[in-house]
Amino acid sequence: MHINSRMIKMAAGLALICSASANAELNVFACEPEYAALTLSLAPDAKVYSATTAMQDPHLVQARPSLIAKMRQADLVVCAGADLEIGWLPMLQMKASNNRVRSTDTGLFYAAEHTNTLDKLDSVDRSMGDVHAKGNPHLHFDPVKVLEVAQGLSAKLIQLDPDNKAAYTQALSQFSGQWQAKIPQWQQQAQSLKGKKVIAYHSSFRYLFNWTGIEQVADLEPKPGLAPTSSHLATLLARAEKGDVMAIIVASYQDERGAEWLAERANLKVVTLPMSVGGNEQSTDLISLYDSVLSLLNGVK
Amino acid sequence: MSVLKTPLSLVAIGCAFTSVAVMAEDSSLTNPNISAVLDGYYQSGDRAMSERAEGFGLGETELAISANIDDMFYGKMTAVLASHGGDTELELEEAFIQTMALPEGLSVRAGRFLSDVGYLNNQHLHTDSFADRPAAYRAFLGGHYFDDGLRVSIVAPTDIYWNLGLEVFQGDKMHAADEHGERDFSNLGVYTAFTKLGGDIGVDSSWQLGLAYLSNDNGKVIGEEENDHVDEGDAHGEHDHSAQYTGENTYIADFVYKWAPNGNYKYQHLTVSGEYFRVTDIFGVEELDLDHADEHDHGMLSEGATNDYHEGWYVSSVYQLSPNWSAGLRYGQVDTFEAHGDHLDPQKLKETEISLAWHNSHFSTVRMQYTHQQGTNFEGFEDDNIITLQYVMTLGAHGAHQF
Repeated sequence: MHINSRMIKMAAGLALICSASANAELNVFACEPEYAALTLSLAPDAKVYSATTAMQDPHLVQARPSLIAKMRQADLVVCAGADLEIGWLPMLQMKASNNRVRSTDTGLFYAAEHTNTLDKLDSVDRSMGDVHAKGNPHLHFDPVKVLEVAQGLSAKLIQLDPDNKAAYTQALSQFSGQWQAKIPQWQQQAQSLKGKKVIAYHSSFRYLFNWTGIEQVADLEPKPGLAPTSSHLATLLARAEKGDVMAIIVASYQDERGAEWLAERANLKVVTLPMSVGGNEQSTDLISLYDSVLSLLNGVK
Repeated sequence: MSVLKTPLSLVAIGCAFTSVAVMAEDSSLTNPNISAVLDGYYQSGDRAMSERAEGFGLGETELAISANIDDMFYGKMTAVLASHGGDTELELEEAFIQTMALPEGLSVRAGRFLSDVGYLNNQHLHTDSFADRPAAYRAFLGGHYFDDGLRVSIVAPTDIYWNLGLEVFQGDKMHAADEHGERDFSNLGVYTAFTKLGGDIGVDSSWQLGLAYLSNDNGKVIGEEENDHVDEGDAHGEHDHSAQYTGENTYIADFVYKWAPNGNYKYQHLTVSGEYFRVTDIFGVEELDLDHADEHDHGMLSEGATNDYHEGWYVSSVYQLSPNWSAGLRYGQVDTFEAHGDHLDPQKLKETEISLAWHNSHFSTVRMQYTHQQGTNFEGFEDDNIITLQYVMTLGAHGAHQF
């Protein structure tokens, strides 16, 4: 969108005056818990609300009244983007009538716009299932991409609340320091997973597998967004019987029934990974989420 | 009702559809959201006040285009193609702009749009879990009430969702029956005021309550000597969105409760909803043309009769058993009056409905529905059992999921 930049600054300034007078702390609406956690790391004083939990499919969220009320009061909306929230975010934006969080020029932030997504498609057809032309939006399982997103988000926080620039800069450098210190440790834990083959549900862990070198040889969904069918599971059984599959992976919000049916017949383990912060007891922030996921995967062998 | 009869406009819409749909990705001025809805059915009998007739038929085939116009305005147009008795009509159901940049939770919508009274009314028919709107909607709002007008609404900055709105409409579709065309109808006929409250109960449940008042200047029926004010031809012949039973004041209360395990709507969820309508000041004599020769005959409606009111309600429960299957149960009834000479005849319609739907994806639904309707003095409807088979399929842009 090409809008006069002075206009944007004026709008942003106005929004700030309104929000600053009401409450000094920033009011943040996060679409998913991973972005709520990231925002809290970068703005510890902010009031952060997560619209979903790790037990909910972020594709299928109801634009329910409580979310409209929360978005109405937000100074900043932080979402994965790449059309992950296309089924509910536009409805919330329309109903919340909050002009501060409508444009990425002001109080709206899409993580996918601050890194390169995998699996971008030139053309998308509904017969392919529920796919996203802008690439896979589940990008929070690539540690390097999380850093890139953190930088973008910190810049957005500073844009909206320049008075606290020093605090945001410090929080970013603290988060980046901790995160970068963890990366070699995670890489070491991921080493033994490299080249392992899994059957998984949806492309939820596309980035995790890409980063760790795990190969997803089959999908429990016949097509993205469609539930596992018995005929499709039968073809997966034939694939699993080759004997090279390490485990069946499902995310915390996904139905385990298809995976269990297959696991029983193919004598494989089902591993339920937390999709986000709060997806299991261990995952209380982004760092412990990564720790938990890697330890669960390493526990299979 | 505005019906565009020129084949050219059809072609124009068709061209707009094909050229942009190919590259549809982000909605913008040059690249709007485009969607079409296909709806077809077979029905074994006639339902009271329904636009769907017995046999094979097409429901509302809908073509919608929407986009942000600029940083201030959003616009949407929905054209509906409806086929009735061999005629195909093109009708504009929505053509509105909405402000997006007003401060303090304010928004203004202008043009033709669905009124925000009640729970179902602002939702499109194809999102329903049953083949037809509840009888109360068919009786008092013409199925779904859309009209030319203006809305101002505000969302309060509270943790509990609280929305307040005012609307003013032309109100043609809410006119009382006027067989002889002798009435002067006011051209700003309908005013509404509504409020909605909503929130969550824990992580599993969400709720919304609504209250609405609709004032209809042209809703009161004037007593006549031979008044069969519901023309049977209207109900089944023409594509008629008009309300069948009107009054000066309509009060609507509605609720919806949704439950999903862990708040995850993907696999299972339950929706329970209900609405109650009360339409008052339904008959009167004071608006009569004073020159009318039979003036004195009209004063014969008894005091009790003019205090009568129409009433209707339904309760519906829909359970999504799996991503592929959902089942619904709905009960509703309407109690209305018809004037015959100097007295009012009460009539009643009860409907019990069961629906079972198969969804291959979010975008395709095949539905089987059983309806038992029981009419008492109701337009000749008595005990009927009706089976409906229906498909509803969406092409194009994702429709956002409304609560």
